[in-house]
Amino acid sequence: MAIADKPQYNVIGTRPIRHDGVDKVTGRAMYGADFRMAGLLHGVIVRSPYAHARIKRIDTAKAAALPGVRAVVTSDDLPQHGARQVDLGEGAVSMRHLAANVLTDDKVLYRGHAVAAVAADNVHIAEEAARLVKVEYEPLPPVLDVRAAMQPDAPILNDDVRTVFAGAPEVNADQPTNIAKHLLFEKGNPQEGFAGADLVFEREFDTTMVHQGYIEPHNATALWNADGKVTVWMSTQGSFTAREQTAELLRLPVSSVKVVPMEIGGGFGGKISVYLPPVAALLSRKSGRPVKVIMSRADVFEATGPTPGSHIRLKLGVTKDGKLNAAEAWVAFEAGAYPGSPVGMACMCVFACYDIPHARVEGFDVCVNKPRTNAYRAPGSTQVAFAIETVVDEICTELGVDPVELRLRNASRKGTQRVDGPTFARIGMEETVEAIKASSHYMSLAPQSRSPDKQCGRGVASGFWFNAGLKSSVTATVNADGTVSLIEGSTDIGGTRTSIAMQLAETLGITAEDVHPTVADTEGIGYTDVTGGSRVTFSTGIAAVRAAEDICSILADRAAALWDVPADQTKYENGGVTGPDGKRISFKELAGKLHLVGGPVTGSGISGEESQSGAFGTHCVDVEVDTETGKVQILRYTIAQDAGTAIHPSYVEGQMQGGVVQGIGWALNEEYWYDEQGMRNATFLDYRMPTCYDVPMIETIIVEVPASNHPYGVRGVGEVPICPPPAAIANAIYQATGVRMRQLPMSPPRLLAELLKS
Amino acid sequence: MKPFEYAAPRTEAEAVGLLAADHVETEVLAGGTDLIGLMKQMVVTPGRLVNVKEIPSMQAISETSDGVVIGAAARLEDMAEHRLLTPFSSIGDAIVGIDSQQWQAQSTLGGELLQRPRCWYFRSGAGLLAANGKRVTEGDGRFHAIFANSGPAKFVNASRLAPALIALGASIRIMSPGKEDAEVQTLPLASLYRTPRDESQRENILSKGQLVTHVLIPHPQSLANATYEVRHGSGPEAPLVAASAALQVQAGLVAKARIVIGQVAPQPWESSEAAESLVGRPIDLVTAEQAGQLAVAAASPLKDNAYKVQLAAVAVKRAILKAAGLPTGGF
Amino acid sequence: MSNKHVISLELNGDAVEFLCEPRQTLLEVLRDILHLTGTKEGCSNGNCGACTVLFNGRPVVSCLVLAMECEDAKIRTIEGVACDGALDEIQNAFLEGAALQCGICTPGFIVQAQALLDENPNPSEDEIRFYLAGNLCRCTGYDKIVRAVQAAAEQRRAATTAG
Repeated sequence: MAIADKPQYNVIGTRPIRHDGVDKVTGRAMYGADFRMAGLLHGVIVRSPYAHARIKRIDTAKAAALPGVRAVVTSDDLPQHGARQVDLGEGAVSMRHLAANVLTDDKVLYRGHAVAAVAADNVHIAEEAARLVKVEYEPLPPVLDVRAAMQPDAPILNDDVRTVFAGAPEVNADQPTNIAKHLLFEKGNPQEGFAGADLVFEREFDTTMVHQGYIEPHNATALWNADGKVTVWMSTQGSFTAREQTAELLRLPVSSVKVVPMEIGGGFGGKISVYLPPVAALLSRKSGRPVKVIMSRADVFEATGPTPGSHIRLKLGVTKDGKLNAAEAWVAFEAGAYPGSPVGMACMCVFACYDIPHARVEGFDVCVNKPRTNAYRAPGSTQVAFAIETVVDEICTELGVDPVELRLRNASRKGTQRVDGPTFARIGMEETVEAIKASSHYMSLAPQSRSPDKQCGRGVASGFWFNAGLKSSVTATVNADGTVSLIEGSTDIGGTRTSIAMQLAETLGITAEDVHPTVADTEGIGYTDVTGGSRVTFSTGIAAVRAAEDICSILADRAAALWDVPADQTKYENGGVTGPDGKRISFKELAGKLHLVGGPVTGSGISGEESQSGAFGTHCVDVEVDTETGKVQILRYTIAQDAGTAIHPSYVEGQMQGGVVQGIGWALNEEYWYDEQGMRNATFLDYRMPTCYDVPMIETIIVEVPASNHPYGVRGVGEVPICPPPAAIANAIYQATGVRMRQLPMSPPRLLAELLKS
Repeated sequence: MKPFEYAAPRTEAEAVGLLAADHVETEVLAGGTDLIGLMKQMVVTPGRLVNVKEIPSMQAISETSDGVVIGAAARLEDMAEHRLLTPFSSIGDAIVGIDSQQWQAQSTLGGELLQRPRCWYFRSGAGLLAANGKRVTEGDGRFHAIFANSGPAKFVNASRLAPALIALGASIRIMSPGKEDAEVQTLPLASLYRTPRDESQRENILSKGQLVTHVLIPHPQSLANATYEVRHGSGPEAPLVAASAALQVQAGLVAKARIVIGQVAPQPWESSEAAESLVGRPIDLVTAEQAGQLAVAAASPLKDNAYKVQLAAVAVKRAILKAAGLPTGGF
Repeated sequence: MSNKHVISLELNGDAVEFLCEPRQTLLEVLRDILHLTGTKEGCSNGNCGACTVLFNGRPVVSCLVLAMECEDAKIRTIEGVACDGALDEIQNAFLEGAALQCGICTPGFIVQAQALLDENPNPSEDEIRFYLAGNLCRCTGYDKIVRAVQAAAEQRRAATTAG
């Protein structure tokens, strides 16, 4: 569905087969765990069985003595960091916290916390040895609930944490605390705003910790060579950030570490932080051999970076004619063991879909005895979307306004100011709502209940995500056969080799198949930020377009030399160079002659200064609720999302569908179950992610409101699709049953409890 | 996994001999879908593993004058498709519920019946009873027992086929090591299970060297039967609650009934109250609902699993309706 | 070293022998001894299906099969799906239908889909979803995977009719 007049493209908007496709359907693609080399040892991490305990003693003697064991390490082998703060791209972080999350020193702060590691001739010996490492613990009372952790008498996780105040007034700033950050954003005059509202709704919400659930466990193979250089082969969303983190943790110059990104089996934000590379490197240094460490699935659940559970209070004031007038939110996020939850982003996202004159948001980043949380697809936005979008739905019900109409009446548009200050450029919020309004799904009759114990309902919700810009590098070389080798630093998790190659091809006027993309290691390409933040097709795309433009201008010069005409009389256009007197040479032909006129041609491009203007999506879902068991079935699902310009529509749809199904899992079943000793359901059997039998086809509507700051109008598409599903489904459940769910997940036991109350 | 010896005997007697060896801890390897995972976690650490899938006499599904005999090493997938088992839709319902085609292809009947409890405390190495039940009562018992949970055992029996087979009146053939030759006995399936009183006991009565070789289902006397599972969703997951019903209906009235509930107690939980309430009455929404309510009247949920009481009542109701070929409601 | 045994089996049509310990799973042997790393390890507990291979024609999760159980068995892995250098219809359908994103679950899905189409050449959407429910994919939302299997089934039927 094209909104604006779209230029005619040759490559963009087509659906070529991805360049790495054959390797991935034949099993030849090399993922991190597939890497091997001579002399390889296998490492296993020794992990804490407690949620909170002091380590009194670690005895590694028995483990070290087991035949086949080649190295044992503890935090004593990690360099000391003191109070050092570094910026690794996501604001200042304490190196002590980062290091202790990799191998802890005096305390364990969550079940699964890494305490020591062993390397042995094979994984079985390493596993046996890990059980021989004797750790003496003094258990401490854990704090697992975000609100409990904020109480003054709560057990303190980190003695060195003091509240950082961002916009909020300072209180007890010098006291040890679990509240690592207190944020406050304000716009207009909320008090006045609420006074001017005819109706005010105030609601509370709880969501539990959930995991990204990528199928490939974390892995890393490290070789600490005799020349002092460390090479790491691993799955990562960002080889450069992995290099920086590893180098900082080992206190090595960044150039002493090389990260070779292998194919990556999913990340969704969870494969940005490093856990294994420094440990594998230490084991390698001690043993003199390469060491591979692969997490178990339980390790992945218990000891990587899930996304926070939250407690949210939300207040919304509306006039009788359905205009949102004032809003207030209080958002507390579980940071996990160390500070750093995405609560700040949650605060910026909570009201972003709507043009509300008066608003105030307070946010808290709170340490609890759970794994240190990390990004997960639109980090922070899904939790708050669940809150705001269900309250908006309540308003629609109360006022008798169609949910689509109310959203249109209040939608953010160009010029709307977000609560945290920035003003939107041209965005597509309204267009996504219009698209849902016009969809065959929304225009169809809402599903009818088939029997009293099967109730049906339809729900709508919207969502916002910023989309990141950040830095990328691309180089491209013209081959004599008229093709181009493209080298990029963005690891390819979902087909970005192709979406980048297509932009280069479009600019050069050649086919996508004539571009051969390669993801290089940290010594093969310039600095490139992570594959995350919905940024690669946007930002690495810009770098690729610039590399292509670089080639265009060189080729124009070369053609001038070939024709012996002044360089200012040639021009690269439509896949070739034109010159005076109707001269024209195609890219392919010229490529074959480059050895005659100046030799190889390489173009390069970088991006970095561009920030994205935001992505919006609106979803519509029909559900059926078994009112006797609380089980919810998704009958039909439609997502409309602004992609700016869809480079490869199949993979845009794929991002939308994948995000929706993750959102469905978050809505209905996924949760971390904790008791005082830690997570109980660290298997895919008990952590229930959607299977293909749980979901229907996901209908997609790609809305295209081109972004002004990308040469082809691209907006990132990866993240925002996960935001609306929990609210859309909650709203549909309400339509079906009259029950408002304010807790996630809305699993059978939880929904049944609410149904039995009503 | 810890190192172990592996044996793949070709006869039942040979298997029993290998299992009975007194110098080593032994375990039966059937489909492996449960045991291998437990061995990886080092929760179960046998010194010898005896694979019984290569024993031809344990693979077959056959008919005798007494009923249908299923070898304990028969695969669930083969059972689901077997013509001799078509009258027993309650078995098919339970197998279809194991919504992983791989598990259906891999799992055996004997292994399914003897899989270890799904209790996450047991599976994280806290012992079968999880510190005399304390870990469950103080921790998270949302999937634990709502019946027979006053002792130290709070886990639920994990078998999905046992409720169906018990309701159908199945018995098992057990081979035991004897003085010279192996000995054979036949027991009702229900008596295979027990609720352990201490950590020295398992959740079944088998002693060292004993092997379940076959399951016998008596010929159906026009037995209407069905299994209904309440689940989170689909895929390889354990049901929240399940119920199987087997009903003998004559002239529109129930002559005999058996109702067995799964995932609610340390053993498959037979509700004679529910069954008796149906006798002499027709199957309809009212009688089924009533049976469901009676089935849970004595439930004693833990702090986290009261929801299972309602689910058990619903599962019983729907299993009865399904057996009678009536619409169950729900999905 | 410890008690290792020689196992002989047929792997993707070829006779293969290897030495292994009883505690090594088929998955471990495929990946670490035979270097066939197309079969992936996702959970090691039989819950994700990434390690699915065909064992005497049946789909199994190879992380829960001991290598010792494979004596004389016929094993087919993702590496054995493409015949004579040409991709199978299912592989082609996955490529053309963009039915993969990160690709880690793809080998398991393709092997599982092959087992399905061998058994049922004309499955309904519901049958496809049921048969693939033991395989987890976290990227695609399954839509394009199901469509790819539908497309592959159609192509196979067309090829059979034509042939």
